[in-house]
Amino acid sequence: MESEIGESTSRPSCSVNGGNEAGDFECNICFELAQDPIVTLCGHLYCWPCLYRWLRLHSHSHECPVCKALVQEDRLVPLYGRGKTPTDPRSKPIPGFEIPNRPTGQRPETAPPPNPNDFSNFGLGATGGFVPMASARFGNFAMSAGFGGLFPSLFNIQVHGFPDATVYGSTSGFPYGYSGAFHGGHAHGFPQTGTQVQQADNYLKMLLLLIGVSVLIALIWS
Amino acid sequence: MSGTSAPSRKGLSKIACNRLQKELAEWQVNPPSGFNHKVTDNLQRWVIEVNGVPGTLYSNETFQLQVDFPEHYPMEAPQVIFHAPAPLHPHIYSNGHICLDILYDSWSPAMTVSSICISILSMLSSSTVKQRPTDNDRYVKNCRKSPKETRWWFHDDKV
Ligand SMILES: [Zn+2]
Ligand SMILES: [Zn+2]
Repeated sequence: MESEIGESTSRPSCSVNGGNEAGDFECNICFELAQDPIVTLCGHLYCWPCLYRWLRLHSHSHECPVCKALVQEDRLVPLYGRGKTPTDPRSKPIPGFEIPNRPTGQRPETAPPPNPNDFSNFGLGATGGFVPMASARFGNFAMSAGFGGLFPSLFNIQVHGFPDATVYGSTSGFPYGYSGAFHGGHAHGFPQTGTQVQQADNYLKMLLLLIGVSVLIALIWS
Repeated sequence: MSGTSAPSRKGLSKIACNRLQKELAEWQVNPPSGFNHKVTDNLQRWVIEVNGVPGTLYSNETFQLQVDFPEHYPMEAPQVIFHAPAPLHPHIYSNGHICLDILYDSWSPAMTVSSICISILSMLSSSTVKQRPTDNDRYVKNCRKSPKETRWWFHDDKV
């Protein structure tokens, strides 16, 4: 005889006469109020132990018992109510069969803060396609996101600015050792080799560093 | 008694017991139309009266279904058979075994006795001929006592 530990003691007997009020939250397998409730993508509610046992021990195919939709264990959604901590699913052992932890919820990114600080409009709009800026709320993440976004825009600046510096010699204030093979014309995109490029890189690095530092300061101050 | 015994006389698990009590309570409030559960104190075997639907081949006929629940119901399907005389139907053998997929491979723990009954009645009601399955004699001679031990081959969809 199988004994469900805690079953009879922990639950009030209201479910017997309770009728349909709790019906929306009854497990579709045992018909009791769902324990360690879990919901499939098709929206059907089960106790995690009930669904697990069905999928692993009894079913021929991984189907939702109600609607026969495919059930993927990593796409189940646990329901965390207020009453119980979500961390003790092992507290109810089933004799002879180990039921693992209920799958955890898949947490989307944290919503953006209501008012974006000045960091988020830090001139990156021009590079386009770098959307996750808005989600940057933690120091580390903000930094890496910021650099990822900065690179393309700096390259644009560099490529367009470079020919000028070479044509007009030292006016730019940076002593480019220009070897003459580098045309502004087809230099669009990716400067390959040469010392001038390295120097440009150094210039970029400095710029980046500056920007990084200012970002840090902005973050600290905000 | 019709000489058919339950598959294995193992008691119901607590989960099975709780669920059957719920099903029984629900049945008493809202029984499927055309069915009568003959209440006994045996939760593990239900004997249910089936009344043929008026206007079908089985109108005015009454049959008895016997439903035996395994220890791990509803993870495992119940065993459902007709008492003799079983209805004359292309999917019902003379020994009462029923060729209906939801009783075997297509069972799902979300099904209930009530939903099984409705499926069986619709299978009866949609029949156009009163006859035994073509392999009736061979099957009845060779089959096991429980239809759950038969390897069923569900040839046609509805009827
Ligand atoms: Zn359950
Ligand atoms: Zn479903």
